[in-house]
Amino acid sequence: MSHIHLPDGVLPVWLWVSGFIIAILVGAIFFRFIKKEDLARRLPLLGMMAAAMVLGASVEIVPIAYHVNLTVISGILLGPSLIFLATFVVNVILGLFGHGGITVIGLNTLVLSIEGILGYFLFRLFWSVLRRLTPAIFLATFLALFCSTLSMIGVVSLGASHYEELIHQEGKGLFEFHFSKEKEDHHEGVAENKVNLKRFIAIVLPLGFIGWMIEGVITTLIARYIHRLRPDLLKLEG
Amino acid sequence: MIQLSYLDYLAVEGKSWLHHLSPKLKIIGMALVLLGIVTLRSLSGLFLLYGILLTFFFISRIPLRIFSLTFYPLIFAVLFIFISGFQILFILLIFLKVLCGSTGVVLLLSTTPYPSIFRVLGRVLPSLFVTALFLTYRSIFILLNVLEETQHALYLRGGFQWRHPWRSLNNISNAFGHLIIKGIDASEKMYESMVLRGFKNKIHYRRE
Repeated sequence: MSHIHLPDGVLPVWLWVSGFIIAILVGAIFFRFIKKEDLARRLPLLGMMAAAMVLGASVEIVPIAYHVNLTVISGILLGPSLIFLATFVVNVILGLFGHGGITVIGLNTLVLSIEGILGYFLFRLFWSVLRRLTPAIFLATFLALFCSTLSMIGVVSLGASHYEELIHQEGKGLFEFHFSKEKEDHHEGVAENKVNLKRFIAIVLPLGFIGWMIEGVITTLIARYIHRLRPDLLKLEG
Repeated sequence: MIQLSYLDYLAVEGKSWLHHLSPKLKIIGMALVLLGIVTLRSLSGLFLLYGILLTFFFISRIPLRIFSLTFYPLIFAVLFIFISGFQILFILLIFLKVLCGSTGVVLLLSTTPYPSIFRVLGRVLPSLFVTALFLTYRSIFILLNVLEETQHALYLRGGFQWRHPWRSLNNISNAFGHLIIKGIDASEKMYESMVLRGFKNKIHYRRE
């Protein structure tokens, strides 16, 4: 839910092109923080966590169109720099399956990496304050998903004028095919044809809330499982 | 479940003319499909594009069970119905764009092996990114094997039942936790074997 499952051609070109440019810039900044040897050593781990995220995305809870992202747990295990590359890779692979368009890969990377990066920092913060794994990981996941869903809504809202253009146009584009519909009908219906973002938000937020809860519980249980078997992976000092 | 392994099998074992076409040409073709999706704003234009893609799909002799994959993204496109205020033309436009995109990528993936796609991408993208893509692709198959074993254990523990949501969530989480730990162990072994084979931040493909 927290990333954009939009097809290609729906968002305005300036928006998805900006998404790619910002994603490349953010990626370049993050890579300055990683040592080259460290990166080479952790690439297989990155691949494995990205693969786990792809498999997580294939477990769909159909009635609410939700799937687990595993971004927060991956962010905690990989750290903020590597999770950015991991989300990029995940979005490319998912994009190749038509799970979100190819042109929105940049934007999806930004939205999804907010989840992983914020999840990592919030988990560290809550752990240092609470010193208890279950509430720290649940709160970190819930808040990270809440923020990424808000950013997804923000991105969708930025394209509002473009959707209106799409709703009101008839037969524009490279090929000038027209439906035999009178122009007057079109103008009469313009008032009703407004883009309704409030309705979109009213649907996404309650569904998102269910998703944040499910993901929060699953991520907490996964972290507890990892903590039982390989506590070193979570790097919890003290 | 994503039918990744089956798609990979089809891409490698397929014998149609589209399978024999150069991956570079197919990627250029996919880019043209994307250009069409982005620029076309008429239903007829999109119908035409979808028709062309369907023709390619069926003459490539790709099994029908793969065709169902192209409908998967429609689940998410449904949300756009609410944005538009139920405008039928807009909804059709969105659905056609979704179907053109998903049919195009499924067509590409079922006729072109992933490593061939990565090799072409490696010419334009940074090697680090392409290496990460390849390792993820390899890892998906490793994790799919682990998942298959885990499914039996999950089934014996009750699997997923709507009547027992807490137990089901616990089972799913343990399965994912197991998957992640096994994956991390496998990644450590993978790195050691890659270093032994001379890995230095880049994977070289055949004929490179």
